[in-house]
Amino acid sequence: MANKTKQAGKGISLNTRNTMVGLSFILPNFIGFCLFTLVPVVFSFILSFMKWDGFTQMEFAGFQNFVKIFGEKRFLDSLGHTFYFAFFTVIFSMAAALGLALLLNRKLKCVNFFRSSIFFPYVASIVAVSCVWKAMFMEDGGVINGALQMLGVAEDMLPGWIASTKWAMPAVIIVSVWRNMGYFMIIYLAALQDIPHSLYEAAEIDGASKWRQFVRITFPMLTPSHFFVFMMLTINSFKTFDMVFLLTEGGPGTATQLLSMYVYNKGFISWDYGVTSAASMVLFLIVATITILQFRVEKKFNDFM
Amino acid sequence: MKMKRIAAVGLTTVMTASMLAGCGGGASNSDKGNDSNGGSADGKTTLKVSIWDSTNNPADLEAINAFQAANPDIKIDLIDIPSNDYNTKLNTMLNGGSPLDVIFVKQADSLKNFYDKGQLLDITQYVKDANIDLANYNGTAENFSFDGKQVALPVRTDYYVLYYNKDIFDAKGIEYPSNDMTWKEFEDLAAQLTGDGNYGAYMHTWQAMAWNWGIQDGKNTIMSYKDGYTFAKPYYEMLLRMQDAGSIQTYGQLKSGNIHYSGAFAQGNVAMMPMGTWFMGMIQGKIASGEANMKWGIATLPHPEGVEAGYTMGASTPLAINAKTKAPDAAWRFVEFMTGKEGAEIYAKKGYIPALSDENTIKTVASNEGMPEGSEEALQVKNIVPDRPIKDHVGEVDQILGEQHSMIMLGESTVDEGLAEITKQVKEVLE
Repeated sequence: MANKTKQAGKGISLNTRNTMVGLSFILPNFIGFCLFTLVPVVFSFILSFMKWDGFTQMEFAGFQNFVKIFGEKRFLDSLGHTFYFAFFTVIFSMAAALGLALLLNRKLKCVNFFRSSIFFPYVASIVAVSCVWKAMFMEDGGVINGALQMLGVAEDMLPGWIASTKWAMPAVIIVSVWRNMGYFMIIYLAALQDIPHSLYEAAEIDGASKWRQFVRITFPMLTPSHFFVFMMLTINSFKTFDMVFLLTEGGPGTATQLLSMYVYNKGFISWDYGVTSAASMVLFLIVATITILQFRVEKKFNDFM
Repeated sequence: MKMKRIAAVGLTTVMTASMLAGCGGGASNSDKGNDSNGGSADGKTTLKVSIWDSTNNPADLEAINAFQAANPDIKIDLIDIPSNDYNTKLNTMLNGGSPLDVIFVKQADSLKNFYDKGQLLDITQYVKDANIDLANYNGTAENFSFDGKQVALPVRTDYYVLYYNKDIFDAKGIEYPSNDMTWKEFEDLAAQLTGDGNYGAYMHTWQAMAWNWGIQDGKNTIMSYKDGYTFAKPYYEMLLRMQDAGSIQTYGQLKSGNIHYSGAFAQGNVAMMPMGTWFMGMIQGKIASGEANMKWGIATLPHPEGVEAGYTMGASTPLAINAKTKAPDAAWRFVEFMTGKEGAEIYAKKGYIPALSDENTIKTVASNEGMPEGSEEALQVKNIVPDRPIKDHVGEVDQILGEQHSMIMLGESTVDEGLAEITKQVKEVLE
């Protein structure tokens, strides 16, 4: 055996050879990853400890950038907005996705039509979608307030949506949930179809109500999907930029300014790369912490199951 | 198997070679650049000039060609960059030391940045030697002087005027707006014109729609926070009054409707709109394409009480010389031509307003086809205040103004609260 390997590899063991072949397969992608992801990330990490405007000499600043942003109201506000946005987006998107998946996991007429139409927002152009939503959110004459009025909401009680500091964030969250739910519904649908039918049959025989079946069988059986959906949604929500930018540009005032937008403004308006990088590091740390926590919890959960 | 290997080797060679070729291309380019500085074989000096979207601006090209015809010893090598990438690319070129002699600066406020990095040639002496009177640039040239050094001259300029829809005036039997009108008179006129589905005026969602009139007298800029920005207060109050009276569409409507001012005016239900001279070309385009169908006119921008008519605000395109140029004299000749009488004439003929403008150039602009009657008088200006001063942090201040503008216009904060907040934030940025 040993002889053969040596012969074939001309002095290199089969294992090493295999590893090298394997590496050569991922190499092209890995080079791309290094150049366009890893290097910028590391550079940004270094920058967060520097004072730099992009042109003049870089100066070491220690933790100054971090001290600076945590003392800045604009940063703290955008941090708060980001948590507000992420929290509700994640919860409502999950609920909507699961609800829709349950509804569409039956033998209905035109079920495929419904599924695709719910998935559609996820693939539609965000620019076009934002324009339409903006028009729907119009305070006077918008479709949404029109509907609310028909439902009996008094005229002076109608929300101002994107034209009001109080309602702009809920508006953004609604659009975000609407956009997310289709994609995650598909994930839930796939998982639902994996639940063995025999469990439901057994439950039926035991006289369990539909609700009990859902609580005791469906929901727990979907645990891996819950984790996946939760994690993806959390990461996405923390990173959201385009949709909010298109809908409100962070306004009115700074009511919907998210951390990602703060980073953008600091980078491209103030040209303060140190502070920009520090803020993105904070964003990164938040997302990383949530992800790690989640993995831990998921592992524990799986051990129990 | 063998074939495959040969093919692979071949492919690799080709790819490597093409990479080398890329490098080679770069090298030969810079060689050319060196040539230009030392003068090439045929005795011509080549100037590298950076410009954006020149194909869309026939006036630029025509002026450049005229320069070459008049100066056979100089050859202009245009580096045309798409407008969206212009500033980034320009920064890279200047920082990387690419040979570049003359720069069309796209955003006047980035001039300070170039100056701070020592990238602009001080042309004070050239200007003096050529006996150029900066006053002829109607206030736009002084803006390009830092620490007493002139670093650029303006080529083209745009400033605010008042557009109006003659059809609405005619239908109401109201006289067209005069070229000497205060903002108060403008507001009253707008109220008269409102009704029958028409709005008396259109005020776009920009913060400039309050701030520009505040700085119109040239005494303050958007950076003058010392007095708590009280100079903007009357105009915010005016906007809010007009909004309440229904003589303009509300800020909220415009924002959620994603409305562009050109579309709003083209629709034909807006009687008056203060907007920059760049809109002259836009509206002509809309009429030509059938998107708009109206008789339009221009009047001089309304002015604050106690300020002369003809005071307006705007922005101009600076032309600067790279500090690293090896041919400063030739570069100056180009700048002098483009920003001087000859260049001005050509821009005016093409419908652009040259920075060096007087009655004659305005006459030329106004006599272009498609321009409405009476525009010659309307376009006369006495002083053009830069809408954004060329100073550090102007971008941040602009952003703060924009944020608070939306708060005030939506009634989320009162004018006083908004201005106080702006003062507080600007102070933080500037101090």
